[in-house]
Amino acid sequence: MKKLVAMMLALTLTAATFIGCGSAKDKADERKESSQVGTKSFVFGDTTFNSENEEATIDPHDTYCGWACIRYGVGETLFKFNDNMELEPWVAESYENVDELTWKITLKDGVTFSNGKAVDAKIVKDCFEDLIAKHERAKGDLAIDTIEADGLELTIKTTTPKPTLINYLCDPYGCIIDVAEGNNNGIVVGTGPFVATELVTDDHLKLVKNDNYWDGDVKVDEVTVLTITDGDTLAMALQNGDIDAAYGMAYASYPLFSGDDFSFSSTATSRAFYLQMNYNSDVIKDDAVREAIALGIDKEGFVNTLLNGYGYVGQGAFPDSFPFGKGVNAKSYNPTKAKEILETAGWVDTNGDGIREKDGKPLTINWVSYPSRQELPLLAESAQSTLKEIGFDVKLNVTADHGTIVSEKTGWDVYAAAFVTAGIGDPMYFFSTHCLADSTKNRGGYSNATLEEMATEMNSTFDTDKRNELAIKMQQQIIDDDAFVFCSFLRMSMISKSNVTGLVAHACDYYELTADLDIK
Amino acid sequence: MIYVLKRVLQLIPILFAITFLSFAMMRLAGSDVVEQKMLNTGQVVSDAQLELAKEELGLNHPFYIQYFRWLGNLIQGDMGVSYVSGKDVFETFKSKLPATILLTVTSILLTVLISIPLGVISAVFHNRLIDYIIRFFSFIGNSMPNFFVSLLLMYLLAIKLDWLPVISREVSAESIIMPTLTLAIAMSAKYLRQVRTTVLDELSKDYVVGAKARGVRFSATLIFSVLKATLVTIITLLALSIGSLLGGTAIVESIFMWDGVGKMAVDAITMRDYPIIQAYVMWMAIIYVLVNLITDISYRFLDPRIRLGDKKS
Repeated sequence: MKKLVAMMLALTLTAATFIGCGSAKDKADERKESSQVGTKSFVFGDTTFNSENEEATIDPHDTYCGWACIRYGVGETLFKFNDNMELEPWVAESYENVDELTWKITLKDGVTFSNGKAVDAKIVKDCFEDLIAKHERAKGDLAIDTIEADGLELTIKTTTPKPTLINYLCDPYGCIIDVAEGNNNGIVVGTGPFVATELVTDDHLKLVKNDNYWDGDVKVDEVTVLTITDGDTLAMALQNGDIDAAYGMAYASYPLFSGDDFSFSSTATSRAFYLQMNYNSDVIKDDAVREAIALGIDKEGFVNTLLNGYGYVGQGAFPDSFPFGKGVNAKSYNPTKAKEILETAGWVDTNGDGIREKDGKPLTINWVSYPSRQELPLLAESAQSTLKEIGFDVKLNVTADHGTIVSEKTGWDVYAAAFVTAGIGDPMYFFSTHCLADSTKNRGGYSNATLEEMATEMNSTFDTDKRNELAIKMQQQIIDDDAFVFCSFLRMSMISKSNVTGLVAHACDYYELTADLDIK
Repeated sequence: MIYVLKRVLQLIPILFAITFLSFAMMRLAGSDVVEQKMLNTGQVVSDAQLELAKEELGLNHPFYIQYFRWLGNLIQGDMGVSYVSGKDVFETFKSKLPATILLTVTSILLTVLISIPLGVISAVFHNRLIDYIIRFFSFIGNSMPNFFVSLLLMYLLAIKLDWLPVISREVSAESIIMPTLTLAIAMSAKYLRQVRTTVLDELSKDYVVGAKARGVRFSATLIFSVLKATLVTIITLLALSIGSLLGGTAIVESIFMWDGVGKMAVDAITMRDYPIIQAYVMWMAIIYVLVNLITDISYRFLDPRIRLGDKKS
């Protein structure tokens, strides 16, 4: 009997350990050693590089794949944004707005593709023609009528006046690629510091340095971009050294990397977390209710406590680091004033249950939001709590099916969402999509004649300073109407090992891997 | 043979009903792949572009038309293309199956190797120290959800001991260790209790007492009589587990970047990628029917009472 027990125990222990241990230690040593010799290799973990985000390939002429093309240093656009979201030359040297419909762009001399071919206006023309033939969104944005090429000079005529044409050309879909090379299983040839060699959708992208790079030496020899969907895996992979840097880390994991072994590169982006009011709702139509909601959101508390400081308090539709985000005055958290406004408007708690009533109806608002952005459920809970103090009964509905709910006129009062308000570095994008009578995302039916007039003026204004001025006035208008409340902006961070340099977060979120990337 | 044929034929109405139901339920869940993509990218497209995208995928039609179109294509051997990646559904599914099957085999093997010996020891040493220890660990294993075990293993084996990488670039002996352990820990914790109960039940039976009285060695009784009698229970449990494991384990696959069908199915549900969901639903129906069939057949060999009972009737 003892023999039998001993045999069983031995078998069990062997089973439990042979897989767990085995030659794992040796393998781990090999792994570490192999990364130390020879070429400089950089491994980047990214939660967003996947087909769900329409980044199944790196072909900029396919859906949103241009994001991967530009982020991982394969493609470059004619112009790019600096941290103030102002335009800077990149593949192009300059532009001239000849008339309302005509733009003359001069390309830089000496820019080459990674295959060694020189970039000239003819190649750029072919690229853009291929783009508008394949990409519906680009076709609509750019409204290109004709393109003429002459040496390094490109002349684009648009079908309608497009003050923001150059901004739109900075969208990742505007990456200049050699279309003659075609699309090799999702891989394209660009002008960037890296050349894609292997792509497996939803898994990884392999890159090598572009030996023909036109804008200086590329310091890293090989790059692997890994799609890591699980946030904990991403965090542990960085802790363990399996990856050198990470994009898309959950806020909760940030403290793990606060030591000297890691470094952060953070910036304010224009991804806004905002509230949109439903003017079709009887309770929201009441000016006092909207004003009280705007006064009842504790933005500072939300950002500093619930987001642990990993965000920026919002005033207007754009971060104040942007030239069109400065000088907007929004209401700050003031529950006392909110209570007074509601009292004056006749919203009084008559039955002592803590919820105000008017004409026998309780002050109930249906708050709709969605869970896929980690900030939104927290914002909903925060608002429910602070608004309750003022006398609101906030019914939360945080659901993946929010789109269906807010597509109806009734059944919701406040919609909390996230949106990149200045994706192309131009403020009009947000207003035209959200605030005007014919805006696709004007879900609450907001309408203001003054705003419409300013929008018309904006659409025919080419001067950047004047556009910025108008944008500030337009923001002030929607804030004064309490049609929108901008709660916070995303602080985008990339975390890397401390020996990684040149990995810098940019406000537009387009540029990640550049020639400056290095491992010391 | 007729019995087997009958069971296989039953698959046809099951597949029809289950794919129709899943299609209908996905429609009830609201939203579609076009809207989900727009939400993920955080940008706005015009209603016209939205409608055009839906029309291209046939999403503007009522769900029953979409379903019967899909069914028609399926009968002709075309499972369609993924709405999200644009790749062939059958090829996508085929590329992910080997990883899932491998993980199923390794985790079932490890589970058997852990749970049967420990379950038997626990039963033989009923209410003694070793029994308490095994039961204690079984409770712990049962109480911990898979994702937590995954993270603990990762923390211990990769971060603290540095024996294994957190992420592995390909299917290898190194990369399969942690996912296998995660699944085996949870299943072993459950099975060893079942094995213990069944063995205890058998040990109290008269034939064991009789064998002891006749001077038969206890180890012989245990191995050749008691263990054989418990096999029906163990195989039933294993059959259920094989079914669910072949369906993939989305959480474990996501955490360990194990490119199997479970993660594919969850991603497809999130994105409302109907062609992939339908392929997955069909796969699940087929494996459950087949695994149950194989289990039923195995009973007839393992337990003569079932075989003889059939003959009598």
